[in-house]
Amino acid sequence: MTTITPTVVTTDVLVLGGGGAGMCAALKARESGAEVLMVDKCGIGYAGQVPIGGGILAYVYPDRVDSWFEKVTRDSHYFNNQDWTYQFGSRMHQSTHDLQDMGITFLKKDGDIDVLDWGPTNVTLFDSPKSLVALKKTAKARGIKMMDKIFVIDLLKNGDQVVGALAFGLVDGRVYLFNAKATIVSTGNCGYLHEKTYASVLGEGPAMGYRAGAELTNAEFNSMWVWGIKILGKELMGIHFYRYLENAPGERIMGKYYPELQSGMPPVFTFDPRVIRAMHEEVKAGRGPIYINLKGLSDAEILALGDDIVPELSHIMANDTLLLLKQKVGVDPSKERLEMWPRYLYSGGGIRIDIHGRTALPGLWAAGGACSNCWSGGGGSQAGLGVQSAAITGFVAGEDAGAYAVANSRREVDQAYADQVVARTLAPLARAGEIDAAEVTYRVHEAIAPLKYNRDREAGRMSEALGILEDARERLQRVGAADFHDLARYHSAESMMMAAEFTLKAALMRKESRAQHFREDFPQRDDANWFKWINIQQGEGGPRLSTQPVPLDTYRLHPRDESTTR
Amino acid sequence: MAIRNFDRDLCSGCGNCVAACPMDVFRIDETDGKAVVAYPLECVACWGCESFCSEGCIDVSPERARGEMVSPY
Repeated sequence: MTTITPTVVTTDVLVLGGGGAGMCAALKARESGAEVLMVDKCGIGYAGQVPIGGGILAYVYPDRVDSWFEKVTRDSHYFNNQDWTYQFGSRMHQSTHDLQDMGITFLKKDGDIDVLDWGPTNVTLFDSPKSLVALKKTAKARGIKMMDKIFVIDLLKNGDQVVGALAFGLVDGRVYLFNAKATIVSTGNCGYLHEKTYASVLGEGPAMGYRAGAELTNAEFNSMWVWGIKILGKELMGIHFYRYLENAPGERIMGKYYPELQSGMPPVFTFDPRVIRAMHEEVKAGRGPIYINLKGLSDAEILALGDDIVPELSHIMANDTLLLLKQKVGVDPSKERLEMWPRYLYSGGGIRIDIHGRTALPGLWAAGGACSNCWSGGGGSQAGLGVQSAAITGFVAGEDAGAYAVANSRREVDQAYADQVVARTLAPLARAGEIDAAEVTYRVHEAIAPLKYNRDREAGRMSEALGILEDARERLQRVGAADFHDLARYHSAESMMMAAEFTLKAALMRKESRAQHFREDFPQRDDANWFKWINIQQGEGGPRLSTQPVPLDTYRLHPRDESTTR
Repeated sequence: MAIRNFDRDLCSGCGNCVAACPMDVFRIDETDGKAVVAYPLECVACWGCESFCSEGCIDVSPERARGEMVSPY
């Protein structure tokens, strides 16, 4: 194998991933005067989940923070990270206005950002497709450096300290050694490629954090499912489509399981677990597949079911379903019923952070989907929390990392550590490659995408799924790479496999049901034994799982105060 | 099939497709400065390139290049 001399790039703050969280982290870190470099495997401005999302941002009025916090905490059965929940609530108003000041276009009313009442919660709407391009312009003007098409594999260390990252340039074919005072992982979590919407986030960030020795947490929670048209492979946005779901014999299904949805028109979002459950129950009972039947409705009536058209804002995703069906597939939804599939969108958890966004490793921060959030107890179902979490964790980590970088000097990379990372990273280039990385990814999907393994969880079936992942791991050893494009696919297959393993192992350990973690063999919530979080660290021969009691005594709100606060 | 039509004559070389593609399907051809479909098999039909293309050159079909997905049931 030829010797590769990495190109060394130094900076004060290194931001890995230029999506919503990374952009917010970079902008905030720059305010401290630190030199900031942001890198992304795609192109900054178009990368990440924010541009293809719905443009919804969660909001809490400043004078309602306490009541919002108490509600979230009670809905979570006190299982949430209360310090972070409170911080989220307190910062949402400022964060929203900061984003506007940094260039994002919001839906306005009387000259100010319009705050909408969506049931029990509040949201603002912003122009998502153009949002990161706008932030990028601001970031450029403020002197933030950026590099596109840089695929980061692993963090680099000096002792315990994280001092940068190793990456390769997909286009220029160079290996890069980034050496930084502070490194922020903002890569998102894992979207697995099963639901195409979040194809850009494939578990790389949590995987590199894990390999460097950081702690992951809450991997069994926040797995998100969406329902969509099978043939489009895409979620169906629109809050009233659920009413038209039917089984193979043609019976409407939602009212059978949720009578409360039969009267009026309560909104049901695309990630509502009730829909996934109803679909699964019907299929298990032999009445599948599930269809959406819009036959006889006019185009205008179908569009109205979406009920999320905001003419002032550009849309890429929300209302194009009809158009896509007609133009791409030649199907008219008002003439034929369409098969629907629940799809695994995203796995939750992430790198464990403290209230400042710091991980357990000095020199390393995490933000956005890559870090564990505070909604593990199920209280975080407010629309638009994903983007707001990205923004706030990004601002918090950026502020702290920036201050750290200004106050500390840069430490060199441990050469032996770097050599070992380079050797591991590039190893597939030296292999012939008997099988394609796509085959490994397919095996990962077989373990994580079926509802029987990963939604209606049960010990025997999860062990079966972990066996599939073992097979995936064995196959990965036979995947080679002809170029850096192949190498990226190899490493993405590995990080997806790891994300699936974290989720399934934590889910197997948690012998209770709580929030969206449902164990068929342990259907009740068990506070006596399981009022604790599951953390994951790299151990000898694989992930080492441990538990940590929820630190209620240090928190604002305690169940013993319940009778007085309610 | 995934990218079923790419009208290179219309391409302005803006690079939005390269930036938006999560699968590294597109590259810019150094010789003429226009986009090229370098890794067509990787396309997962997310429509990122088509949505962000400034000239409307790209038509992506609904199926992924590598075919059927694992069933959720």
